[in-house]
Amino acid sequence: MSTVVKPYLKPLPKIDEFNKPFFDVLKQHVFSVPRCSDCGDYGWVPYPACRSCHSTRLTWTPVSGKGEVYSYTVVYRGPGAFGEEVPYVICMGRLDERPRSCIVGANMVDVDPFEVAIGMRIKIAFEDIPAEDITMWRWAPRGDEV
Amino acid sequence: MAFPQRQAAIVGVYTTRQGRKLSQSSFELEMEAIKGAIADAGLQMSDIDGVIPLNASPHVGRVSAHQFWAEQLGERPLTLLEIGLTSGALAKAAVAIAAGMASVVVLFWGKSGWELGPGGTPVPDRAPRADAWDFQIFGGGYAHMYALWAQRYMYEFGVTSEQLAQVAVTHRHHATLNPDSVMGDRGELTVDDVVGSRMVASPLHLLDCALDTDGGYAIVVASRAVAEGTRKKPVWVLGGAEAAYTDFYMTIDDPWFKEQGQAVRKTGDLAFAMAGVARDDIDTAGLYDCFTVTMLRDLEELGFCKLGEGADYFAEGHTRLGGRMPCNTDGGLLSNSHCGHPSGLHTIEVVRQLRGEAGERQVPDAKIGLSLAQGSSVHGQAGTLIMAVD
Repeated sequence: MSTVVKPYLKPLPKIDEFNKPFFDVLKQHVFSVPRCSDCGDYGWVPYPACRSCHSTRLTWTPVSGKGEVYSYTVVYRGPGAFGEEVPYVICMGRLDERPRSCIVGANMVDVDPFEVAIGMRIKIAFEDIPAEDITMWRWAPRGDEV
Repeated sequence: MAFPQRQAAIVGVYTTRQGRKLSQSSFELEMEAIKGAIADAGLQMSDIDGVIPLNASPHVGRVSAHQFWAEQLGERPLTLLEIGLTSGALAKAAVAIAAGMASVVVLFWGKSGWELGPGGTPVPDRAPRADAWDFQIFGGGYAHMYALWAQRYMYEFGVTSEQLAQVAVTHRHHATLNPDSVMGDRGELTVDDVVGSRMVASPLHLLDCALDTDGGYAIVVASRAVAEGTRKKPVWVLGGAEAAYTDFYMTIDDPWFKEQGQAVRKTGDLAFAMAGVARDDIDTAGLYDCFTVTMLRDLEELGFCKLGEGADYFAEGHTRLGGRMPCNTDGGLLSNSHCGHPSGLHTIEVVRQLRGEAGERQVPDAKIGLSLAQGSSVHGQAGTLIMAVD
């Protein structure tokens, strides 16, 4: 008896010399962001130099992965293979790290799309892509609301 | 040093037919538009000595589009090779012309055979590769990025879907008075029509979104010496500027809505200072309205009202025909056309208003106009141009 796994047909990232350390540790379910070795600022989206002091001495630094929903959209018309998964959620989550907030874009999983709200407490989640040697980052509810 | 006011003028404009799935190629639309705008000015193709192509070269990918057009237009040296976001590029062309770098510059665009919206991306047979930080990775596109922006905007300032919808209603009204608009013959819209149309990406409904059409256009800007001999009333360039703020929406630090504004504010402040006119002096404007929310933010960022007050300002009717500064009188990107890189259409409509050629939708005695180009997701890029007739 065999199980047919539906192939993953959504876009996957091109891995290059700059982003490879990020995707290598992502496979171990660790989310890291470039942190400036000179001024200590965090940055996302990753740029090749610090956006605060312009140093190129950046270190991929694991972060808590905790944050909150800064904005979101429930999508009913998606491009390519995303069109087969509507409605899906795109979330801009604000990581807790400072001084520069890191607003991270990702699909939100393990959630009823109609329950998502600005300010909701969330965490980075991980999805190992079948038949591809790559892991993707997602947002998911933190589930520690009291 | 001051901006060289009234040393260059827009002397020719042309729009091809706009609509879904045109039979002409992008190149054919560009060529039709260039010839049309040159004829509108009463000039010859051989007068062109500068180009602002908005597409890449259709011929040899590794060669700049300027080189392609230099040869295509007749194997003679072109001396102004500009790029940029229409309104800003036209301002730079005016400065270059005033400095003697060129005398007849044509900006042009044509698009056919592809779609901006989600329907333009087919389902592949294996996972395609995309740039690691690009919005394609999470199923994003233009509508989705603006939806994220709209969601946060509505949350911070208490704006409702009904308030966004009034923009679509007004711009459709304008389109009904523009016989060349794509949606004018569909008739008026109501707020209920807009909020009742299907959701594309919450909070944006189908009718909150621009059209996704084909089409082309061209704009000719020329020196004072040339302009004084052309066929139509010259539309003088008074000032203008461009700015880039970010390459991705999601790199913008919080808060997303800043009192000091972003790229649009910067170009507006520069353009008004150069032109020596006040906001109250603008008789008509064309503002980038790719989504209903964009129009409200344009009005705030350009300083016509305060941050968070765009919806109230719009509701007061200032931008509607009959108001004190009618905007997007052609129907805008929401109801006239969004032909892929459509910001030149706003400038063309302002030129037609200032020339007195706008027919049923003519703004009486319009003398000073403004066009705003905006792009790269949410005020990441902007160009503002201020124009006037004598």
